[in-house]
Amino acid sequence: MLRQRFDTGAHMQIYLPIAEMSVNILTLIGMGGLVGFMSGMFGVGGGFLMTPLLIFVGIPPAVAVATEANQIVASSVSGGLAYWQRRAVDVRMGIILMTGGIAGSYAGVQLFKLLRELGQVDLLISLSYVLFLSVIGGLMLRESLNAIAATRRGQPLRARRPGAHSWILRLPLRMRFRQSKLYISVIPPLLIGFFVGTMSAIMGVGGGFIMVPAMIYLLRMPTNVVIGTSLFQIIFVTASVTILHSVENQTVDVLLAFLLMVGGVIGAQFGAIIGQRLRGEQLRALLALIVLGVGLKLFIDLISQPDELFSVTRMGFGG
Amino acid sequence: MRNSSKIILTAMVLSFSLAPMMARANTIIADLSKDHISIKSNFAGEKLLLFGAVEATVDGPISDIIVILRGPGENFTLRKKQKKLGVWVNGAAYDIGPLPGFYAVASTRKLSQMVPPNVLREHSIGADAMNINFLSSDIEPSERAEAIAGFIRLKQARALYAEAENGVQIIGGRLFRAEINLPPGMPVGTYVTEFFAFQNGRLVGYQTGELPVDIVGTGHILHQAAYEMPLVYGIGGVVMACFMGWGVATLFRRR
Repeated sequence: MLRQRFDTGAHMQIYLPIAEMSVNILTLIGMGGLVGFMSGMFGVGGGFLMTPLLIFVGIPPAVAVATEANQIVASSVSGGLAYWQRRAVDVRMGIILMTGGIAGSYAGVQLFKLLRELGQVDLLISLSYVLFLSVIGGLMLRESLNAIAATRRGQPLRARRPGAHSWILRLPLRMRFRQSKLYISVIPPLLIGFFVGTMSAIMGVGGGFIMVPAMIYLLRMPTNVVIGTSLFQIIFVTASVTILHSVENQTVDVLLAFLLMVGGVIGAQFGAIIGQRLRGEQLRALLALIVLGVGLKLFIDLISQPDELFSVTRMGFGG
Repeated sequence: MRNSSKIILTAMVLSFSLAPMMARANTIIADLSKDHISIKSNFAGEKLLLFGAVEATVDGPISDIIVILRGPGENFTLRKKQKKLGVWVNGAAYDIGPLPGFYAVASTRKLSQMVPPNVLREHSIGADAMNINFLSSDIEPSERAEAIAGFIRLKQARALYAEAENGVQIIGGRLFRAEINLPPGMPVGTYVTEFFAFQNGRLVGYQTGELPVDIVGTGHILHQAAYEMPLVYGIGGVVMACFMGWGVATLFRRR
């Protein structure tokens, strides 16, 4: 009779069950590919670029953070396996770091939940990003520009030696870490782990960009085990973040995570190939500029008057 | 049309209850192009056709028809941003409701031209006639009005509230049809359809029906799991990620 079909034929749209919105599937895979490409090229995790990008395309910030943690589980498993097979993982150090990290992720998710109920979680996410992206981007830019200048002058840049922080390592509760050839207190790695775990829960990042320098300069671990150990503990901490956000906030969209993983793995392979052909310090300067740019965009969004002052959520489904 | 008999029955029951205010029963009879809406994983919104026939009364043919599609009622939290220390942050919060998560009204002409405002309010026709209830008390009238306007604006921006004043077309004086856009963000639950026939500002025909809206397929399973078994869902997400990561690492090492 009068019944008609009104299929719009928009086959490329996919409905995300937790974000509760319809997004073009190619956009998502493309974003995963772009960030994967950059993480392959620069050798970084990419969470701190993907989460803001998801927020820019309209995914609710709380969903972006929790979903990105889930994606990082996949990228750190695939990255970490190679280090594991080369035995470049200090498992004992990894376990200490992740113990702190899992406790930190619990604290972070609880804080997240509390601020979500108060409608302030978006602010927490944005402020954390502005702070970290500007500090990290600024440091990276300075370091890479110095390196570029030094190469131009034809002098090798002297590697900065760790300062005299060694008293921290002589705190009580010392433990032997054979793989790292260290006999140090477990308190500093527990605290570092806790801090990075909290950040992971609030920002949807693995936190390698904090963890790796902390391991080298504070814990004085040998560089050959640093990345493997960092990835090893990131797997467990981001897994903990994913599960805790699922339970406490119901903000993990596994369909979204899956699509980002698909794009991410493809992008990372190409990124790694291109990255090998470019010079390290120029790459780092480029990454620093991207990081600063993303931070600046988030900062401008925070200080400029929004077109719409009101926002609405279902009651009990905060910010 | 499995659902038309139900609608007719509802219409008959209602016509008895509404009999005193209507000149005659069954002046309007209507149906929908679908008896349910399934939100599949490729759902990008769709159009719902609402159609039917009106019968002329002793006063002549009917030309004022209003069609309403109303989503299930929910409570909402509305927040207003304000500038604090140079940064725009969420300030005042208002809990309002229950209000429909979706509300679309289509009519043959401007609502205010065909029906007096008190009648619109009596039947809750149009967003302006909606009774917006604040769950938190002591709010100043000006603040209240601003919040209500903000809420309606937000819903309109996502196509969840819509008013089409020429949205109902009458064909050959007896048949009518209206199209309502169902956007991707529409809430799930049981929707209610209402069809009104007015003549000289007086209600002469009314029919109501139901339209279930559900998420189906993978999306449904995931949505259900996320809210009902969040621990299993979270662990599932981690297991999937581990398999993906492991699969990729093995796949690319071979080459």
